[in-house]
Amino acid sequence: MNEYKYTEPILTVKDLVVKFNLRGQVLTAVRGISMELFKGESLAIVGESGSGKSVFTKTFIGLLDNNGWIANGSIEYGGYDLTDFKTERDWLKVRGKRIAMVFQDPMTSLNPLKTVGKQVQEAFTLHNKVSREEAKRRTVELLGDVGIPEPERRYKQYPHEFSGGMRQRVVIAIAMACVPEILICDEPTTALDVTIQAQILDLIKRLQARYGLTVVYITHDLGVVANVADRIAVMYAGDIVEIGRSEEVFYDPRHPYTWALLSSLPQLGVKGEDLLAIQGTPPNLFQEIKGDAFAPRNPQALKVDFVARPPYFEVTPTHKARTWLLDPRAPHLAPPIHIENLRTLRRGGVDRAK
Amino acid sequence: MKTDNQTPRTSFFRFKDYKLQKMQKAFNDAEQTDPASVADDLFDFADHDLLDAERIGYSNYSYWRSTFQVFFRKKVSVFLLGFLITLLAFTIVQPLLPNQKDPYRVYNNEAGATLMNVQPNAEFWFGTNNIGQDIWSRIWSGTRTSLFIGLCVALSNNIIGIILGSIWGYARKWDKLFTEVYNLFDNIPYTVLRMLLMYIMRPSLKTMIFVMCLTGWIGMSKYIRNLILIYRDREFNLASRCLGTPPQRIIIKNILPQLISVIMLQTALAIPEAIGSEVFLTYIGLGLPVSIPSLGNLINEGRRVMLVASQRYQLLYPVLVVSAITISFYALGNAFADASDPRNHR
Amino acid sequence: MPSDKQDVLLQVRDLEVRFGTKRRPFIAVQGVNFDIYKGETFGLVGESGSGKTTIGRAIIRINPTSAGDIIFKGEKINGPISKELDRKVTQQIQMIFQDPMASLNERAKVDYIVSEGLMNVAKDMPRQEREKSVAEALADVGLLPEFASRFPHEFSGGQRQRIGIARSLIMEPEFIIADEPISALDVSIRAQVLNLLSHLQRKKGLTYLFIAHDLSVMRFICDRIAVIHKGQIVELSETEQLFANPLHPYTQALLSAIPLPDPLLERNKELMIYDPACHDYTTDKPTWQEIEPNHFVLANRQERDSYLHRIATCDWPLPK
Repeated sequence: MNEYKYTEPILTVKDLVVKFNLRGQVLTAVRGISMELFKGESLAIVGESGSGKSVFTKTFIGLLDNNGWIANGSIEYGGYDLTDFKTERDWLKVRGKRIAMVFQDPMTSLNPLKTVGKQVQEAFTLHNKVSREEAKRRTVELLGDVGIPEPERRYKQYPHEFSGGMRQRVVIAIAMACVPEILICDEPTTALDVTIQAQILDLIKRLQARYGLTVVYITHDLGVVANVADRIAVMYAGDIVEIGRSEEVFYDPRHPYTWALLSSLPQLGVKGEDLLAIQGTPPNLFQEIKGDAFAPRNPQALKVDFVARPPYFEVTPTHKARTWLLDPRAPHLAPPIHIENLRTLRRGGVDRAK
Repeated sequence: MKTDNQTPRTSFFRFKDYKLQKMQKAFNDAEQTDPASVADDLFDFADHDLLDAERIGYSNYSYWRSTFQVFFRKKVSVFLLGFLITLLAFTIVQPLLPNQKDPYRVYNNEAGATLMNVQPNAEFWFGTNNIGQDIWSRIWSGTRTSLFIGLCVALSNNIIGIILGSIWGYARKWDKLFTEVYNLFDNIPYTVLRMLLMYIMRPSLKTMIFVMCLTGWIGMSKYIRNLILIYRDREFNLASRCLGTPPQRIIIKNILPQLISVIMLQTALAIPEAIGSEVFLTYIGLGLPVSIPSLGNLINEGRRVMLVASQRYQLLYPVLVVSAITISFYALGNAFADASDPRNHR
Repeated sequence: MPSDKQDVLLQVRDLEVRFGTKRRPFIAVQGVNFDIYKGETFGLVGESGSGKTTIGRAIIRINPTSAGDIIFKGEKINGPISKELDRKVTQQIQMIFQDPMASLNERAKVDYIVSEGLMNVAKDMPRQEREKSVAEALADVGLLPEFASRFPHEFSGGQRQRIGIARSLIMEPEFIIADEPISALDVSIRAQVLNLLSHLQRKKGLTYLFIAHDLSVMRFICDRIAVIHKGQIVELSETEQLFANPLHPYTQALLSAIPLPDPLLERNKELMIYDPACHDYTTDKPTWQEIEPNHFVLANRQERDSYLHRIATCDWPLPK
């Protein structure tokens, strides 16, 4: 495989631990993550609910809930350590201007009482000192950029006059108002229909190419990931269990959770046979987790998985996974047959609709 | 910060292999384990019980427990609750205590002169009024009466309000009819109506309760109706309909339990409202007859002698009691309503 | 599966469902026709607002219909019906809802939730027997009987959805309408629930109406699929035939938009966009036609001819 083309780290996370105080008990949502984000890439963070993926990215822009705090670790970005930021003023240096976020549900991310134009313009004037006419002109241009037809007319309309897909475009316009360096998209297409989904992802890719953005996608939909991601980080129970380039994770997954995730997709199922389902439920994060968090749900767990937390083992310079199966002493386990189906589907080619 | 002491059972702790358990303790979870320190024989497959994965305790959240936790977190609420309970208990227990005087009796001294307008002293703790009756016992008797009125009214408001409000909110066909009736009733000024009825029906305890119950249910029923409209088409109610559950059971078992906080708040506010109404009606002369001590009567009497400095105590004490009750009920009602809202259970 | 040899369980004829007031009606569903055979899984796929949920709710009598007939085992079940028939329908047709967080009564124990239906149709059942039924229903869906004394919030999304399924199963229905049963679940849990639904179908001889917006799931679980767009069914066919040979442009657009979990395929895929203006229905009105055996399309005469021609010459515009 050729070299990975994104090599300049733009944001570095070291040993990040995030805890929450919930009804008097302490929950550890992020259990020590270290990773680098490279300039210009698209990173997809995949995980189910409760894996900590949203919480993890919220630390980048200081949107952690009031009952959460960063217990350990550092986030280096642009010469700052984001874990040191305490006040809103600190965060305004970064949030919106250099790191922006697009949220999941366009229904609730827009203010229903303000016109769309005003909301986008606000985002712009917050960080730029320009005249009102200039701001308006820029806003209309931006609305056009994100694919809203007749931007002049729609500038004056309210969110409820837009469809779901259009609203998501407005949200993207707000995020892009100051042309940030990093764009975080939290499940940007989950609430949208399939046909609109493809268009929105397309839009983000176009914007990325044009402005040289670094995009972080948070999603549980592997189809979205396959479409947009250069690199994939698989999260489970507050930890990144596997991280690598898109082709590596899809075609050569190594962690049992990634196997389980890929094999349980209905697209890979054979009619009449059972899908490969993951038993049980994600672990209780109020407790300390010993060993590999996925072990209780893994029928092929090793004894060591219950005892000690695995370190990262490297598969290639760009692909590593946190599993004892990669230790030379571990038994050789092949990934489930369903993953082979993935390759067959591709080789087959004729069978177009998966 | 407290740590979790109740650990739901997970398969980790069901390990029969004690050697492994000891090894778990040896490895520090937070550190990256050095592969070299792991023994070779640990790389065998472990025994796996699939059903264990189901048993992973998900959440030990309990609605009522969280409600009380949030409620008791506020020191003011705890204090007021204690105060109110003490006050109510005392009101009931007071006649049974030793050395209590009869609220109706006119007290004379040894010489036979009536002990009118006596300032508070060792014998008459709150003094006497201008007829010679003991104000201390009258206040507690009056509080009993007023609270009785308040409770009756609150109870009737709740029952009628909930029943009518539920039908109004749930049965789409009758919504229009009920709304018109509501608008009709709502436009009648309560105060004028109450005054009119008290005048016609001759003031007594029963008529006062009747008069207040007559209009009290209206607000409650509208409140309930609005909430039922919100909950009516939620999926869990649709599911109950699909299962054939009749509307009354859907309302009672599905919807009303969600409205408990609201109902408690309305109840808590209805009591001071009733007392306030009673005080007002007494003020304009349409309250309870003077022979029945009530907070309204006492305040009225006290008002008459307000300007005489030495007799101001006759106004002071009833006002203090009414204020204390009103403030307590308001504050507690609001605190409880806030606490029972699941969004505050953080 | 050859459908001419099977019994018809449910027939829908010219169904129309209207909302809003008389002056400003909103027609959610119009001119819908299909049959569901005993033992099959019939899929209804469409985007949000297409009317698929409305159809499901009309069948189970939550939404009233404004025109057309719904015939279940030979009897018309929409509109006003007798109490006896209502009871029968309640017991034999059940529904599984989308959002497990919203479809269970938070204030009631699982015991009550699961046995609620029984208490309605079998009022005289003694408590012991009812508890036994509850335990059996829970076991059928893979939950432990001790869960009956707990509250819904103590369970995860997947477990809650299974409680919802148990609640329907305990009635021993013949026909279950599954309204987006896995859309609100996490990816890793979906497979569990899909497997469960398949098992239950085989074990109890159930018939499913499976409503969803995700065609890739439908392909795995459905025998026949109907595609619905803005209240009208545009295409209906057996699953593999639909995927191999989609005729209606909307179906083609939907198929091309399915996300594929394969980076190489996904990046090179061409998206087809459906434009309703591609139909000219001014003079030549569309009707519901059977183009091939068991393959129905909403088309006018001109389109029908072009589809037939396409089939004859095997010229299907396959997106990559």
